Amino acid sequence: MSPKALIALTILLSRVPIAYTQQLQSAQIPAAVRERLSGLLPSPPPARATAQEEPAFYTSSNLYHYMDGAADVFQMYDVQALFHRDFKAVPMELTVDIFDMGTLENAFGIYAAERSPKYDFVTIGAEGYRDEGILNFFQDHYYVKLAGFGEGADPALQQFAAAISERVGGDKGFPALLSKLPDARRKPRTEKYLAKDPLGHPFLSPAYQAVYELDSGESTLMISVGASAADAASRMRSLEDHFRRTGQWNPAPEFGNAAARGSNSFEGSLVAAVSRHYVVILLNPSSNSAAFFQDAAARLQ
Amino acid sequence: MKLMCKNRKREEDTMKSLHLWNRRDFIAKPTVWLAASHLVGGFDVLFGQSTNAEPATAKAEASAKPIYRTLGKTGITLPIVSMGVMNAEVPGLIRRSYELGIRHFDTAAFYQQGRNEEMVGSMIKEMGVRDKVIISTKVLPPGWGFGPRAQTQQRIYSPAEVKAHFHEVFEGSLKRLQVDYVDILYNHAADSEADIDSEGALEALTALKKAGKARLIGVSSHRPEMALKEVMKLGVYDVVLTTINYTMADDQGMLKTIDEAAMKGIGIVAMKTLAGGPRRPDAKLDKPLPPASQTAALKWVLRHEAITTAIPGYTRYDQIEQDFPVASNLAYTPEEREFLSDKNVAAEAQFCRQCGQCRSGCPRGVDIPALMRSHMYAVQYSNRELTRFTLASIETGKGLDACGSCGACKASCRNYVHIGNKIAQLKALRPDIAV
Repeated sequence: MSPKALIALTILLSRVPIAYTQQLQSAQIPAAVRERLSGLLPSPPPARATAQEEPAFYTSSNLYHYMDGAADVFQMYDVQALFHRDFKAVPMELTVDIFDMGTLENAFGIYAAERSPKYDFVTIGAEGYRDEGILNFFQDHYYVKLAGFGEGADPALQQFAAAISERVGGDKGFPALLSKLPDARRKPRTEKYLAKDPLGHPFLSPAYQAVYELDSGESTLMISVGASAADAASRMRSLEDHFRRTGQWNPAPEFGNAAARGSNSFEGSLVAAVSRHYVVILLNPSSNSAAFFQDAAARLQ
Repeated sequence: MKLMCKNRKREEDTMKSLHLWNRRDFIAKPTVWLAASHLVGGFDVLFGQSTNAEPATAKAEASAKPIYRTLGKTGITLPIVSMGVMNAEVPGLIRRSYELGIRHFDTAAFYQQGRNEEMVGSMIKEMGVRDKVIISTKVLPPGWGFGPRAQTQQRIYSPAEVKAHFHEVFEGSLKRLQVDYVDILYNHAADSEADIDSEGALEALTALKKAGKARLIGVSSHRPEMALKEVMKLGVYDVVLTTINYTMADDQGMLKTIDEAAMKGIGIVAMKTLAGGPRRPDAKLDKPLPPASQTAALKWVLRHEAITTAIPGYTRYDQIEQDFPVASNLAYTPEEREFLSDKNVAAEAQFCRQCGQCRSGCPRGVDIPALMRSHMYAVQYSNRELTRFTLASIETGKGLDACGSCGACKASCRNYVHIGNKIAQLKALRPDIAV
């Protein structure tokens, strides 16, 4: 073989593992996704910050390389991809994490899982909050987490958040079903979307919940979302089976014709009823909360 | 001198006996594995030499009474299955766990922004069982961020700052837990020697132990062998909470270190026992993992008597009800045995993610990701052509030819792929590959 041919063959063969690695990475994070996520940051970056190194991308399967055990909750909300990049504008340093959660519901779900009513809430995206050195918000199917350190970090966080929100565009609202929950007496910012295992029962997935201050005290209202009326009926049956096995299950006519009360030693008691393709559940109900429950079920009709 | 020799002999005999039960207990022995006719298939990687022998503990009939073990030299005895509360949001899960017999609940200041500790504290108080349970919590170092550490978290903190941080965060933990003391306080996510040796963290934890606010102190770490060795060296920590699961079946160095640490009186608690559960491995396998995979994985861990208890994380009632009976019976069912024998599971359990982080650990600059791909083609795909092609494409001096001079492979994988084993297996296959 001539030296030129050998060199050509070597070059060709040397590209195979590179091509394979790129292929593997592309299979995990397609180029189009990387481009889309990278495009959510303006160029040049705000606050006169400069990017440090190339961005890093993670999928659900290797997210734990970045977050260790904290990845679990993101996986519960079906995270699709993470874009991570560090910035600096001496003396300030800033980290940008943009999670593609796939759907508005999952983006809201993970956002709500991490937010606390005690945080300082801001109007960014659909909603955001600030705490010391952080600014997080959700918008459309993205969950954006910004962390800053050093003098000038707070205004920089604000600038980055505004710039990213503008580039995300899309839906700046909350998941539609939340608007069907009763407004009165709801404790602010207690709404959640539970993608997996609501109340510890996989058959109730997914579900929305919010906390209410009723006459009898605090109660949690949960709406389990079925795929159909038949699915909702099946979920109700599973709930009944569970409570019959572990405690009690009895009709609760004061809460509606088809309502039932379940109770056991470890979950306390709840009332449940099917409304269209939903199962409406009220935890720790009292007789005073019957009207509230019926109203919540009626709003889903 | 004679007394020292006598003690050392006794120590060696004890270590030998610990390793003897490992062979009966289906721990892989790489040399035996390589000599087996199923060299490429790897069927025995999780079971080791014999698939028929049963350890003494597993011969007992299943009973409702859980197996208890003592946590190192602490004197605390615990059922071998406990609860990792980290991802649980339903208080009823804690109550149900207690009802079933769980007596140890693990949480951390970082989990759910403190709400996890609040939930644990409320439920334990409501049930009135503080004196019957073991509560552990954890404190992260200051400026902790996701790794590779965000640059915002790379400021150097003085030991005094670290110490003050630990005290401040822990006081918050006590308030959220509604207790005057915790049973175990961990230095959280201590994944390097520097984390474990942190002067500020050590000062804080030892002071809190002396003050009676933490009965025991420990480290939690995702790097078991490093953490156990460092803890043994320091001689200060009582407990190590660390990642142990079936994907480490042929990591003899790690398993030996567990035995050694247990013999030295370090209490060992296992986490990540389900190796990520159904999510890992997931898409790589042809079919979803069977239900038996969960209990199989838990039993694999708990059949190591050096491990006191495991803290699988629960988010569902059916998970607790499925897993806690493992505390009473560690014998494998046929379905569990089938799962652990699946060659795809064994191979996937050590799947190289091609992240390349191992390269820096090799003094010869070997193209480890390419060798791991070659192993995958050989073992999982049984594709000799692709194996040969991949090996041939590696730069001269950076492939299998470069390995062998090192006594043991110095590269390590943060995903617990046993690089040295796989390279040895490739070498053993070489005549068939004809490279």
